[in-house]
Amino acid sequence: MNKNKVLSIAAAIVILLLPSILSTYGIRLGGELFIMSIFALSLGLLMGYAGLTSFGHASFFGTGLYVVAILGKYITNTYVLILAAIVITGLLAWVTGLLFVRVPGSYFFMLTLAFNQLLYVFFFKLKSFGGADGMAINVNPDLGFGPIVSPVGRYYLTAIAFILCFIFLKYFIDSPTGRIVIGVKENQSRMKALGYNTLYYRVLAFTMTGMMAGFAGALYAFSNRFASPESISWMLSGQVLIMVIIGGSGTLIGPPIGAAVFVVLQSYISSYTERWPVIMGVFFLVLVFLNRGGIGHILIRLWNRAFPDRERTAARKSGLLRTTDVIEEET
Amino acid sequence: MDISSILLLILTGLAYGMLLFIFASGMSIIFGLMNVVNLTHGTFFALGAYIAYSFMSRHYGFWTALVLSVIVIAAIGLVIERLMLAFVYGSHDREVLVTFGLMFIAADVMKGIWGADSLTLGAPSALNSTINMGEVMFPAYRLFVIFVGIILAFILWFMENHTKTGAIIRAGVDDRVMLSALGINVKVVFAGVFVFGAVLAGAAGVLGGPILSIYSGMDAEVLIISLVIVVIGGLGTWKGTFIAALLVGMINTFGQMYFPSISMALVFLFMIVVLLVKPTGLFGKEVGA
Repeated sequence: MNKNKVLSIAAAIVILLLPSILSTYGIRLGGELFIMSIFALSLGLLMGYAGLTSFGHASFFGTGLYVVAILGKYITNTYVLILAAIVITGLLAWVTGLLFVRVPGSYFFMLTLAFNQLLYVFFFKLKSFGGADGMAINVNPDLGFGPIVSPVGRYYLTAIAFILCFIFLKYFIDSPTGRIVIGVKENQSRMKALGYNTLYYRVLAFTMTGMMAGFAGALYAFSNRFASPESISWMLSGQVLIMVIIGGSGTLIGPPIGAAVFVVLQSYISSYTERWPVIMGVFFLVLVFLNRGGIGHILIRLWNRAFPDRERTAARKSGLLRTTDVIEEET
Repeated sequence: MDISSILLLILTGLAYGMLLFIFASGMSIIFGLMNVVNLTHGTFFALGAYIAYSFMSRHYGFWTALVLSVIVIAAIGLVIERLMLAFVYGSHDREVLVTFGLMFIAADVMKGIWGADSLTLGAPSALNSTINMGEVMFPAYRLFVIFVGIILAFILWFMENHTKTGAIIRAGVDDRVMLSALGINVKVVFAGVFVFGAVLAGAAGVLGGPILSIYSGMDAEVLIISLVIVVIGGLGTWKGTFIAALLVGMINTFGQMYFPSISMALVFLFMIVVLLVKPTGLFGKEVGA
């Protein structure tokens, strides 16, 4: 068993034991944190591993949320609702991915933003889905052993969902398909020359991360019990982008760390001042200017220094380690 | 539907489109020449309107307020370009992140200073009337905005085709490396272009004040509309920006009349259709990302 595995299992145990020492407020915050972490993980994968900076990722989060809100009126089965949210956001992400992924970088960025705004306007204006007032959600999560209503129960629901998403992405990145996605990001023309359909892999990454964002949105529906157009706005897209940058893209642990820093700082600062976005914004700018990567990168560097791996140190010294390998070992 | 109300709609759409053109031309030049996606463009628009509001509430006239707020915006633009953007040129992601961070901060600062309620700018007294145009009565101020838009379009066209500055900017859109190889100080060009773009945005904000109300969140809204216009028109072309702005103004105005609930969606759908047919926009050239 290597040290990364030990660390992962330790982290999972800490996550599962935390509710016993947290206050009720902390437990609620924890639930929100795991949802945002899943959301940030999905955007982090898209940016860091597929090289697609999306400014419209809340499109999928919000769609997942609204799917549960709308279908929840007719269906109460949690599995069906979550599955519906994932499938519908997946379809949406697939169709938009086919349209957007082929355009070059800055256009991609603007298209995702415009699409996000399109959806926002749609939900904002459509009176049958509550319009600007949003709509209440009256369905409780139920995994087959009774409705989960207590904060602790919701904490565990989101915590386990987060751990599963993390493990899934970990395996995806190590899979042959994941390797190709990274390859397409690193050198698209080479991958094309090798015979890979690069468009296909970019659309795949976009669809997959859209589905994961939709899953986060569905979980949010259960914990927030309210769907408002705000949760589909460009502002949320921007916030999750901030989370990914704070935590560090190109790593798996970065986005959840960024989400944690964002959610905790936000709740802490906003209890003192209404002007929390200014402080978050300055913190964000400082990180961008330091250009040392996010907090995730810094922690990984410290971790590797504390527990150096002989083979890897030798490889790094001899210059054999490429950037992709660094990404690989850091996840 | 009689002819006079259609005429009225066309004029209204034209005025809105011209306002969008004044705003988006700044975005277009920054994006086209510097290849920077500047997310603070909407912030300059809102700031322009808010600062003019502050001047006007201290009993400066509309025109004085316009000039003063444009000067303030130019100064802010220069500071941002020199102290922040200049350090991240060349990396698309970091440009986006820095301008987004600034926008995030500025939106909150504006909310702190001017509040979240919507404010209105009064039209200048000389133009605060309606003009009888045979069939229709039309606000003089909106006619004035149409007039300013046409003048600006002419100035930009003249600059682009008949002045050295225009030649430098056109050259920069095509080949930035060559520009610096020719001994042109790209730093100064960049700072100048950014400030010019910011001034256009700020001026559009002041001019738009009497037409649109000023509210928190308007910065993002106009930013996104201008992104849409730039995308529809094509990268780095004023002709494209002009036509796209007018089209968007018209679609939005007619949409609000006939399909009020989806008028904005129509604009976005139009953009998606344009991009499907021609990914570089209506008048865009093939430009690498």
